[in-house]
Amino acid sequence: MAGKYVHQSILRLEDPELITGNVQFLDDIKLPGMLHAAFKRSDYAHARIKSIDVSEARKLPGVIGVYTAEDFGDYIKPGPLQVPPPTAIKGATYAARTTMPIAKDKVRYAGEPVAIVIAESRYIAEDACDLIYVDYEPLEAVVDLEKALQPGSPLVHEDLPSNEAGHVRQERGSWEQAVKEADLIIKRKFFINRNAGAAMENRGIVVQWDKHAKQMTIWCGTQSVIALRNQTAARLGLFESQVRVITPNTGGGFGPKINTSLPDDVLITYLAMKLDRPIKWFEDRRENFLATTSERDQVHYCEIAVKRDGTIVGLKDFFYHNTGAYNPYMMTVPLNTQTHTVTNYRVPNFLTEFYVVFTNQMIVTPVRGAGRQYGVFVMERMLDAAAKELGMSPVEIRRKNLLPANAYPYYTSIIGQDFVEGVLDSGDYPSAFEKTLELIEYDKFVKEVQPKLRAEGKKVGIGVACFSEGTGVGPYEGARVTVGGNGKVVVTTGYTSQGQAHYTTFAQIVADQLGVDVKDVKVITGDTGYFGWGAGTFASRGITVAGTATHLAAQKVRQKALKLASKILQAPEEELELADGVVRVADIPSKFIALGDLATLANPMRGTMEPGTEPGLEAVAYYGPPYGATGAGAVGLIVEVDPETMQVSLEKMAFVHDCGTPVNPMVVDGQIHGGIQMGIGDAFYEELIYDENGQLVTASFMDYLFPQATDMPKKLVLGHMETPSPLNPLGIKGVGEAGAIPIPSVFTQAVENALWDTGVEFDRDTLSPSRIFTYVQQAKGA
Amino acid sequence: MKLEGEHVFKGPREAVWEMFYDPEVLASALPGTQKLEMIAENEYEGAMNVRIGPVSGSFTGKLVISDVVEPETCTLTVDGRGTPGFAKGVGKVQFIDQGDGTTLMKYEGDLNIGGALASVGQRMIDSVAKTMIRQAFEVLDKALEARLAAKASGSEVVDFKPPSETEFAAAVAKDMAGGLTKIPEVRLLMYIIPLVAVLVLLAVLFRGCSG
Repeated sequence: MAGKYVHQSILRLEDPELITGNVQFLDDIKLPGMLHAAFKRSDYAHARIKSIDVSEARKLPGVIGVYTAEDFGDYIKPGPLQVPPPTAIKGATYAARTTMPIAKDKVRYAGEPVAIVIAESRYIAEDACDLIYVDYEPLEAVVDLEKALQPGSPLVHEDLPSNEAGHVRQERGSWEQAVKEADLIIKRKFFINRNAGAAMENRGIVVQWDKHAKQMTIWCGTQSVIALRNQTAARLGLFESQVRVITPNTGGGFGPKINTSLPDDVLITYLAMKLDRPIKWFEDRRENFLATTSERDQVHYCEIAVKRDGTIVGLKDFFYHNTGAYNPYMMTVPLNTQTHTVTNYRVPNFLTEFYVVFTNQMIVTPVRGAGRQYGVFVMERMLDAAAKELGMSPVEIRRKNLLPANAYPYYTSIIGQDFVEGVLDSGDYPSAFEKTLELIEYDKFVKEVQPKLRAEGKKVGIGVACFSEGTGVGPYEGARVTVGGNGKVVVTTGYTSQGQAHYTTFAQIVADQLGVDVKDVKVITGDTGYFGWGAGTFASRGITVAGTATHLAAQKVRQKALKLASKILQAPEEELELADGVVRVADIPSKFIALGDLATLANPMRGTMEPGTEPGLEAVAYYGPPYGATGAGAVGLIVEVDPETMQVSLEKMAFVHDCGTPVNPMVVDGQIHGGIQMGIGDAFYEELIYDENGQLVTASFMDYLFPQATDMPKKLVLGHMETPSPLNPLGIKGVGEAGAIPIPSVFTQAVENALWDTGVEFDRDTLSPSRIFTYVQQAKGA
Repeated sequence: MKLEGEHVFKGPREAVWEMFYDPEVLASALPGTQKLEMIAENEYEGAMNVRIGPVSGSFTGKLVISDVVEPETCTLTVDGRGTPGFAKGVGKVQFIDQGDGTTLMKYEGDLNIGGALASVGQRMIDSVAKTMIRQAFEVLDKALEARLAAKASGSEVVDFKPPSETEFAAAVAKDMAGGLTKIPEVRLLMYIIPLVAVLVLLAVLFRGCSG
């Protein structure tokens, strides 16, 4: 549904201030008397702590305090689960071992804090870290996912019988039946690599305790102010109202910043109170790589059962998922993998099973895509393998099996991260696929362009892949919309922003409801002092869930304004309209009252008030969907591979997506662009590599490669589709992760196609020039 | 990481083995060595400082020598820790009499490193290690030459002046210069320390073997 603002590509309202540098980021915050924190981190991935000698560090001038687990006493215990366990899934088992804020007795990953130094400056604090001597007894590190579950493996948590952190098995139809019906069963094994969120701005926190007001203020670029506030208050024995969490402007989140009850927020809030001084900690890049959560590696064993004509009768996927040293985020990532494996296709029989494994590596929590891309990767690879085996084209096999446009709502029988059965609310997957083929000019490329270029000796290839993105899951978000006496509107929400344009898109929604200029709508996000309810920024749910709550609150205010104006203007409500900042009689535009005046009158200072009336032009609304809205799309890619260097050039990409009604199509494009870049990183550049001792060997941007602007496709065409979601009044679906999801799938397929004469087949989602070279040599039998 | 290589010393095997027995020589090949003490039979404790440009760091370590077959071979295990991380390694060294008055030394080792050394310095360690090993061999070549000359002339004074810590550091820095100038974080220079640890391993090994 298009409005004056909704569905319009207006420029981002937050940009002028950002571009001119007139905003505050976390590290800009400097408070009088502020101290600085630094962490002494473990060099070992797995070791027992025999003793920690901090005496030299304490003597360094400027050091206020050096603290180890012992100094915090009973305050130190494993943090709360950030996500509930999967009890809604029949037969699911789990072992919860949540994050230790500071290592006690044992370190479980390289980079785990063993001491914290508080000093007059960061320089002093870091120097003091060098003076801390920790006596470790090194233990064998648990690194390999599959070996970790074998008997005799060293244990990450010695109170558990094994390194198994959980097990989930879900089935729709019967895989056994599929085996009986199939003409052919194809088996493959896949490796999924591990990536960092790598936001431009690292994590950090500033904490101030006002001992007179008994009030704590926390500035933090968190993705969930509510969780940070509530967990901090509970830990320190305060009311939620005594803790205010404020997110300054934040340079990207991408998932890892959703976490709370991490070493920094647990320890620094405590120390700021104890020392009665404000404390700042800001992460450096190496710390970010080592000790901020990152995402998964997985090993998949997959089988697809097909008929000779290419019809899928079943899929079985068994995988191991690395959760790292602790599992505060439970199973969100592997559940997303499960729910996104067969989404786009008709797969009557689907068996999916995974084991979650503890290892001596960094904790795994979602990073943009959050496991979805690996379900998609496995499925798309299996289709490629099946097509090859059956002598079909990748297009033909997909076309044959895509879920038809009349299939919705489609009940998947698979329970996802929101603990309800996944339902595909709406969509049109075949049209998205066909549109992609058109935009990438698939037929023309295969029939004309490719043969010609191949004849010239060029290694050019094409790929096409489908994806879905479960978005906008519950539980809920809320918003308050208030009209001021100045006629302008304030929207407050507990949702947080890390660059997603909420200051624009939420304002567009409100401006349409209240008939004001969008520039007169001020959006405040991520400040519990303004709004104290909500869950957090994850699962591409901002515009879908918080945006809908904003819409509902604005509707309530609209009703209030109409009711009051009707009395004042002595005209029936249905004859009134809200436009140009006033409420007026539609047919007699001269008969009006300004919205600001109405707001003033809505708050009478003397006299009486009609029973049942609430003051002000203000309303709060909450929205929680029964299940998430599923976006989807398809992507086509043409690549050229340099046969000497194996460098891959992305010649053209066509990306078609459907996120229902786009509130701001330009912002949607931006999300897709950013997602694609992240997907390119995933497919060809980014990889966190741990050596066999659990040492992260890629803890700087020298070794952890990041796609640059120049690595984007030379030509990028976006195709838009809109099948509105029936779940919310605006018909919105999320789009924040869409771009990142299908890229590894299409990339491997296109590169394989470019190197068709070598017969190479890729079984992992991250390639690199040297890796492609190795695969080609292996394919040649060299 | 794996370390392996070989070096030809222009001198008889016994003389080479003997040279490694001389702590003075060893220390000279490893500038920055603060101490190198025998704490038990075939067990040593050492401390090193490395200072290159604005960066410095210290390492303390233990060395255990085993499987000694004088003057042919030995195995050593080193365990060093310092501010920039830790290094733990096992190395095997062989001295082969080539029959022409020269001695071929072969070494192979496996080194595990952790901390900043591993997470940021991994990429540089290999090349820096090689440079440092080459440097050390140059020093040892000169030392051997001086020792043999002294022996020939019957002199008790060995006319050998080892390079200073600064000269040594300059040489390493020169070798590294190409790479270093491209690196924004000067702290990276710290990672040279692990290399030293590697070197300690080798050098001390030789010395230990003779003991």
